[in-house]
Amino acid sequence: MPARHGEPQPFDAAARPLIDVAGLSKSYGDHVALADVSFAAERGEIIGLIGPNGAGKTTLLETLAGIVPADSGEVRWHGRPVPASRRREALFYVPDGIRPYHDQYVAHVLSFFGGVHGRPPDAIAEVVASTGLGPVLAKRVGALSKGYCRRLLLALGLLAPHELVLMDEPFDGFDLRQTREVVHLLREEAAKGRSLLLAIHQLTDAERVCDRFVLLAGGRVCGRGTLDALRARTGLPKGSLEEIFLALT
Amino acid sequence: MRSPEINRGLAAPFARLLAKELRGIVGGRALWIMLLLACPLIGYSFVQAVALYAESSVAGQQSPTLAGSLSPLDGVLVPTLGSLYVAVTLLFPFVAIRALSHEKETGALILLAQLPFRSLTLILAKTMAVLAAWVLVSLPAVSALAVWMMLGGHLYPPETLNLLLGHALYGLLVGTIALFSASICESAATAAIVTLAFTIGSWVLDFTIAGHPGVLASVARLSLTQALRTFEQGLFSAGVALGMAAVICGFTALACVWARPGVPTRIRLARSAACVLATTIAFAATLPIGLSLDLTEDQRNSFPPADQRLLATLSAPLNISVHLAPEDPRYADLRRNVLAKLERAMPRVNVQLAGARPGEGGDRYGEVEYTYDGRSDVSRSTSHREILPLLYGLAKVQPAGAVPGADYPGYPLVATADVALFWFLGGLPLLIVIAWLWSRRPPAIRFAFAPMEAKHEAG
Repeated sequence: MPARHGEPQPFDAAARPLIDVAGLSKSYGDHVALADVSFAAERGEIIGLIGPNGAGKTTLLETLAGIVPADSGEVRWHGRPVPASRRREALFYVPDGIRPYHDQYVAHVLSFFGGVHGRPPDAIAEVVASTGLGPVLAKRVGALSKGYCRRLLLALGLLAPHELVLMDEPFDGFDLRQTREVVHLLREEAAKGRSLLLAIHQLTDAERVCDRFVLLAGGRVCGRGTLDALRARTGLPKGSLEEIFLALT
Repeated sequence: MRSPEINRGLAAPFARLLAKELRGIVGGRALWIMLLLACPLIGYSFVQAVALYAESSVAGQQSPTLAGSLSPLDGVLVPTLGSLYVAVTLLFPFVAIRALSHEKETGALILLAQLPFRSLTLILAKTMAVLAAWVLVSLPAVSALAVWMMLGGHLYPPETLNLLLGHALYGLLVGTIALFSASICESAATAAIVTLAFTIGSWVLDFTIAGHPGVLASVARLSLTQALRTFEQGLFSAGVALGMAAVICGFTALACVWARPGVPTRIRLARSAACVLATTIAFAATLPIGLSLDLTEDQRNSFPPADQRLLATLSAPLNISVHLAPEDPRYADLRRNVLAKLERAMPRVNVQLAGARPGEGGDRYGEVEYTYDGRSDVSRSTSHREILPLLYGLAKVQPAGAVPGADYPGYPLVATADVALFWFLGGLPLLIVIAWLWSRRPPAIRFAFAPMEAKHEAG
């Protein structure tokens, strides 16, 4: 029922996108890292942020997470603007290429992050099991292989209770079988209602896991939508994501 | 768990954060290496101090007058803890910097900054971990005091605790400077340079401009070493302690401003300016605080009790004009024996350096003019035995009679601490290595992960 004139309109959070990014821009001196980036994500959706190295994927994730200040643009959460200082209350960002607390034991790191997020030991155990970290719990982070370190970061993302988790290159360091396991795991998370924004440069991996895509090149959005929508737009009815990306850039 | 509203708040358990910080400090090698280096450094200083004290004590045992000048505070405590001061100045920054720069370098700070903790909470936990590290680092010095007591040495608890408090404040000050440096620098190496610029810069201030009059004297008072000196003299000065606390809070606040990623530089600069201004005001407010306690057993910073009580009743301002160069040894004597004590005993004392130099001002060089209640007198003495009667004459009061009481007996001790070298070079380092190995033991796994993992693999 439409609201009568003069009455405050009720705020319907469920009717709005989970996150709505509008006109986000970021420059480092003369270099434009992000130019007027806009997209939205719904609850339970996996969005793939696709682009080659240097396309601005990491900058976009860091800007969304409030780790890097944006020059302009707005991020809305359920339709309401969220300042950078409060983004961490809404979403959690798992960076790429970090090896956090490398002189501490994996069990300690998981226990700390799980405990801070108020996760009971059972929930932490579930994440440990799902990410396959069991064999290395008594190892130091610095002694982990690249694959296990990536699993640890994945586990830290899964331990976060946030509705939206941003992950930078979540498949980097995994072999084919492990990638399939992680894809399965991420799909399970999405099925539980959690949204994921994944920056991926391996297009075959992206095609396998993502519901929708935001294609980035040179800091600009050159395409967004489902694979079918992008195929229709590029006129490539059986085109792969790689072919679509090449056609759009 | 997943509310559409962002009202999760910032109330995560602080104990977990503190435990993580403590694990981080203990997990690094810097702390253990510093502890191992501190053992011979502090041990050698202690053994040398005891040897020199024993030499002086030989004469002191034959003469009660000489014995009265033998205080363990000057003879053993200050030299032994002096080596802790050197270790804290040169090595502790590397331990404290690690608390923050390690997370910056490994990228863990990005994860930490997203957890529901305020910046102040994050830095507070790190500061507490740094303080805990200082406590560990001070253990060799504390063990030296225990050895001293086992040798039959005397410790007067108030002056000992006061000295330890001074060193703790100094350690915390160096630690917070290190945290601030780590917050503004991208690498630990750069942060170490910035921190050492503060600590070694204090030495430069001490060596070059301490004792100079005017603005230079004010600048010299900013030296971190000067703050510790008050505690080494056996004084607890509320002004000095609060001043150090203000600076510690200032550096902690600055570290908060710079540690959290994602804040635009102009906002950081504006907040930093506010922090510096607030710290400067707080520090300036502590300067006039004259409240101080003489915690030495021999009350070296005070006149005899009867004189202290009488001087406290002289409420008119006492103006003292000193015709001596600040670097003149007589001025140092006068300040230590008379002026500093008068400033503590009387409510209103104004000391002015007339700015004279040897050879200038004719015959007046060396004179000290005392003016009280419109009357003045001149003396060249640097002893309170001559100055106090002069002051009582100006104030027209009867000199205070001597109050019978126990004089400071002095604590001569002829002993050798050479055996203690086995402790400082063998036993204590061995215990440190054992503690280091214990700290590296694998954790007790509390998650029931194995069955679930089996289920996952089966699935």
